[in-house]
Amino acid sequence: MMNTPGSIGWLLRHEIRLAWYKLGSGKSKTPRRPGAGGLATVGLAWLALHGVAFFIVARTGGIDGADPRVLVAVSALLYGCMTFMLSTALHTSVLVLFERGDLDLLLSSPLSSRSIFTVRLGAVVVGTAALYLFFLTPFAHAGAVLGHVRWLAVYPVLLGCATLIACAAMLLTLGLVRVLGARKTRVVAQVIGALAGALLFILVQVFNYYAGSHEAQALQAFTQAFSSSGVLGAASPLWLPGRALLGEPLPVAVLVLLAGAAFALTAGRTHRFFVHGLQQAASSSRAAPRPVGALRHRFGASLFDTIVRKEWRLIRRDPHLISQVALQLIYLLPIFLLVFSDGDIQYPAVTAGMTLLCASLTASLAWIVVSAEDAPDLLTMAPASSAMIRFAKLAAGAMPALAIAFFPLAWLVVRDPLAGLLACFTVSGATCTAAVIVHWCGKPATRSDFAARGKSDTLTSVMEGANSLAWGGLAFCMSTIAGGSYTDSYLVGAAFSAMGSAVVLGMAWLLRRPRP
Amino acid sequence: MTTNDNAPALRIAGLHKAYGRPAVDGLDLLVRRGELYALLGPNGAGKTTTLRMVSGLVAPDAGRIEVLGIDLAQAPLDAKRCLAYLPDDPMLYGKLKPFEYLEFVAGLWGVGAREAEERARSLLDWLDLSQHAHELTEGFSRGMKQKLALAGALIHDPELLILDEPLTGLDAAAARQVKDLLLSHVAKGGTVILTTHILEVAERLAQRIGIIRQGRLIAEGTLAELRKQTSGASLEDVFLQLTAQP
Repeated sequence: MMNTPGSIGWLLRHEIRLAWYKLGSGKSKTPRRPGAGGLATVGLAWLALHGVAFFIVARTGGIDGADPRVLVAVSALLYGCMTFMLSTALHTSVLVLFERGDLDLLLSSPLSSRSIFTVRLGAVVVGTAALYLFFLTPFAHAGAVLGHVRWLAVYPVLLGCATLIACAAMLLTLGLVRVLGARKTRVVAQVIGALAGALLFILVQVFNYYAGSHEAQALQAFTQAFSSSGVLGAASPLWLPGRALLGEPLPVAVLVLLAGAAFALTAGRTHRFFVHGLQQAASSSRAAPRPVGALRHRFGASLFDTIVRKEWRLIRRDPHLISQVALQLIYLLPIFLLVFSDGDIQYPAVTAGMTLLCASLTASLAWIVVSAEDAPDLLTMAPASSAMIRFAKLAAGAMPALAIAFFPLAWLVVRDPLAGLLACFTVSGATCTAAVIVHWCGKPATRSDFAARGKSDTLTSVMEGANSLAWGGLAFCMSTIAGGSYTDSYLVGAAFSAMGSAVVLGMAWLLRRPRP
Repeated sequence: MTTNDNAPALRIAGLHKAYGRPAVDGLDLLVRRGELYALLGPNGAGKTTTLRMVSGLVAPDAGRIEVLGIDLAQAPLDAKRCLAYLPDDPMLYGKLKPFEYLEFVAGLWGVGAREAEERARSLLDWLDLSQHAHELTEGFSRGMKQKLALAGALIHDPELLILDEPLTGLDAAAARQVKDLLLSHVAKGGTVILTTHILEVAERLAQRIGIIRQGRLIAEGTLAELRKQTSGASLEDVFLQLTAQP
């Protein structure tokens, strides 16, 4: 009965088959089963993890679940995983709604929308839990063999947490579609997902920053909160997931029941809402309100202006892409906390931060305008100088970063001319080299590949990253030396950074792609 | 470099291109000025590769291409200035509006401001796209996209217009508009080369027809001349007889 055509079981089997083929296809667009080599590699890696887990568990002799510190540590680990799970689940929910695949076929068939939604939601759950199951289950297996059978609770706990988070993510995405419409949902869900993914990192950095100056107060507040009578004492319900992960039967049962109820309610009550969301998503590119006033256009501009304007228009009108670019820079935010630490302006940190920011932003924008050109044939066919077209495109990619950096740099030059001029040098150098690396080595792709460009063009991404770091390091060391803190180590650091930048640029030139 | 008024619109001599196996194999072709020439052939015959070489998108392995008397290899920019190529998959930007797209293409071809604006308005009116001028092209239907791409190809008033399957996916009304536009271009002295799998289109529009198989021109002439070469009554009969595998 499970596999009667049209049943949930039948549809699930279809989904598993598609996922299996997707696993085998990798970067290729041709569907195929995973190769024996790939499966063997994954299997061996999992077995190796078991070896590591056995070694660690045998050496440490397991962990004492009754120790409140262990409970806090395990719970913190789980909550950390849950922030990443939320990020993954939001990303997957958006994909389910917007990257339709075979949904049009399924929805036009006599299958019930409830079955389709149930299976898709199940796929989000599995996709959310998979990575954590892969890395944590070897420890559970090792524990079970070595006498800690309760550690097998990692299975229901991870699946339960993934289910709760997948349901929350799907409901949030569908709610956003209802409130904001499909266009904005894609962007907002992505921003929330990225913030969730970066939350732990940013919180740790912010904590380090504040704890650095108020260490005693922070320690006292923490000790008080974690004491047995405190808000975060061992009896706090906040540690329920941690207790479940340590194998306490009641918390496991509560978590599984909650997850089951959430899944049943989400799948049962919101499947029509899901169809509505899909319909909204499908029509999102067609609904264009008529603007007030006449259309503005400018014929007869120079080739440079024509290309730059076109590139900026394409970027400006793609909020999804803009949010992806901006979110890549989130991880640089903590650097700017250093800028005003201890009440003084830290010029080396400012210079290095701006250099890194401009290099990263330019690399992203250059990739969009150069590698993700929508109509490369049109440009090749045009009776225009290809050198001028390339120059205009690179300028379009580099100018936004330089524009953003302009006022901070001007402020820096006025306040401390030497530090300001050094920053101008490193920002311009990093920006130009970032653009040139993408120009030489970037693989042609589509804009929708932006988020995955690191995987599809790993070498260029590594060179971009190395270039940013080298220029950032150079900026930091030179600025420190210019500030009077001359030591040999800063001089050596500056020399290594400069050499690193030159080596990356040289590598990019050697590996440059032939132009059509 | 200026065009040679006595030269044909397109002269191809001994053109070769191979992707592992030959795609175009010693092709010779001559298209006169002011004619509508249909290049027919089965799938994989080398039609698109030929057109892409003429447009400067693909470099030939050997052979010579002259556009209006200009050697494409010697003066590619001058040759490109006189021609426009419309591939079967329109080259558009989803996030641009029709006028913005035409503004961009006109900028690439260096068309003067006034002329470009006038032509853009007239082409969008002709192709019934003016009422969609405020919309992004990503929401356009296949036919609307094809018509906008055609407007882009005509914005610089090319002497030679090359179209690869221009009527694919168009409804009857849109197909009629495109056909009228092509005939109007020829009536004004322009030249059109098109490929199509819809043989009725070639039969009704083309003054001369070339049939290509395995990268070689195997027959050429008016419909009447082609009929004489075979026992076929219609272009379909002629085509099937000529392209049948030996």
